[in-house]
Amino acid sequence: MAAGAYVEFARKAFAREATYRMEVFTLVGSLILRVYLLRSLWTALYAQNAEPPGLPLHSMITYATVALLMSLVLEVDGTRLIRERVREGTIATDLMKPISVPIYFFSDGLGQTLLHALLIVPSLLFALLLVHVDVPPPQTLAAFAFAFLLGYGVNFFINFLMNSVAFWTLETFAMQLIVRWGSDLLSGQIIPLMFFPGALGRFVFALPFAAVYSTPLLIYVGIIPASQWPRYFFIQACWLASFGLLSLWVWTAASRRIVVQGG
Amino acid sequence: MPDMTQPIIQTRDLRKVFRTVKRASGGLGALRTLFSREYEDRVAVADVTMSLAAGELVGYIGPNGAGKSTTIKMLTGILVPTSGSLEVAGIVPYEHRKENGRNIGVVFGQRSQLYWDLPLQESFELLRAIYAIPRDRYRQNLKDFVDILQMDDFLRTPVRQLSLGQRMRGDFAAAMLHDPKIVYLDEPTIGLDVVAKEAIRQFIAGINAQRGTTVILTTHDLADVERLCRRIVLIDRGTIIYDGDVERIKSEYGRYRTLVLRFGQAVESPQLDGAELASVEGTTARFRFDRNVARPDLLIRQAGDRYSVEDVTIEEPELESIIRRIYVEGYAGQGAATL
Repeated sequence: MAAGAYVEFARKAFAREATYRMEVFTLVGSLILRVYLLRSLWTALYAQNAEPPGLPLHSMITYATVALLMSLVLEVDGTRLIRERVREGTIATDLMKPISVPIYFFSDGLGQTLLHALLIVPSLLFALLLVHVDVPPPQTLAAFAFAFLLGYGVNFFINFLMNSVAFWTLETFAMQLIVRWGSDLLSGQIIPLMFFPGALGRFVFALPFAAVYSTPLLIYVGIIPASQWPRYFFIQACWLASFGLLSLWVWTAASRRIVVQGG
Repeated sequence: MPDMTQPIIQTRDLRKVFRTVKRASGGLGALRTLFSREYEDRVAVADVTMSLAAGELVGYIGPNGAGKSTTIKMLTGILVPTSGSLEVAGIVPYEHRKENGRNIGVVFGQRSQLYWDLPLQESFELLRAIYAIPRDRYRQNLKDFVDILQMDDFLRTPVRQLSLGQRMRGDFAAAMLHDPKIVYLDEPTIGLDVVAKEAIRQFIAGINAQRGTTVILTTHDLADVERLCRRIVLIDRGTIIYDGDVERIKSEYGRYRTLVLRFGQAVESPQLDGAELASVEGTTARFRFDRNVARPDLLIRQAGDRYSVEDVTIEEPELESIIRRIYVEGYAGQGAATL
């Protein structure tokens, strides 16, 4: 199998997403609005409360803005294709081709992601009109990028697993909604996980969702010091490996019990 | 040239049983279903044995739910048989799904393999990458198909804007671009108008004759079969009930013809020796006769002598009415599978 096919899948996904121009513009617009809202919210909260150690207001706003920019990429549900193709029964034609179907889904997701990644630049420029974003030293930026990459992998497999539920239930929307709400809150996308008190804090840090947003963001704002980076990378890599293996297992089970609807 | 001595598709006692959780009925039925582990087995395909030579064009016919699609899915490698063996172009499909995928092309009339949001041409390019088709070969094939299927006008149109006829033509080209040895066509003419149907039939006949592609055609439109296939395999309730020439089944079941007479004025219960009156409607009478016993020319002369006849037609039995009878009564002629 030529790798060319997967590159082509990614390119086509990119082109396909780009055809929905209105959606792309709305995405950037709503992001800017959310940057503004979060700035007002955190400014008000900081004015009323004692400043948490290590996270002054400007760091918090940086955190929130970078989290929103990350969400441009991480909220792309690249593998929703599984759900759609199972429900429409077109997964059967995919399986009749000489390709690895999971890698096909991954490539398609990557293509969508790349388009959305391009949006980061204009979004950042607009955001800078509203807020000040701290820029850490280069090695911290590099560590952030690496952690982000690992987090992207973890996020991909979580989505893959959820969409694969379609093989059993054909409908996954309700479940996805619950997991998405859960992960929005527990991943550190909205609230830094250090704000969760005591045992609850330890619990949310132990969840896989923390590997997606919290770890890269806390590296970015300097809460996780350089000495701690390897430990956090290791935890992320462990989650990545576990979800990767679990996905492989689920995929094997799913392809064994493929039911093509209306077939 | 295709090798005619080795079968390209061979199945032996191929069987597929679907196991589903048995649903309890009644108000609490749904709840009980949730906890019960009672299963129900449904035999979709029962011991199907068949063999296809390379280059054959076979109609695979049967009523809804007879097991046609299940067989095709096992041949494409996406369903694993419960028992029995099968080989397609020397490969066991479910063990080597991807290799098998290279050898086959598939067209489903009811769902498309084209990419909805992209222009037709881009779907083709994607397929070129998927099958790693050499560029020259791809260009030649694409040019041929664009010519034969007249796709020039809509090659750059997004698939979602194509008419059904255009989309089907695109799907056919998509299935053939990588020069598959075998194509499975599942109701390829469903919903098409007569002109589009004929174009598709010509295309199927063409790839079979010129490229030697082996074709398995599943359809409910028996005109497709009559036009294209020499051999049909009839399946009902998972079992093959007939496997042989279209002509043979037609001559066995097609002994009876209908003579339609239109009289100058209404005739009450007309009679002909050697033919049986089937119906009278106004001035039109229909007679059924056995073509091995009675000669139509003599019957017509006889009718002319007795009545004032204004118009005469003889109706041939169509495959459709024959197959309908077989579905209802079962097949009992030569070559009937012993059950």
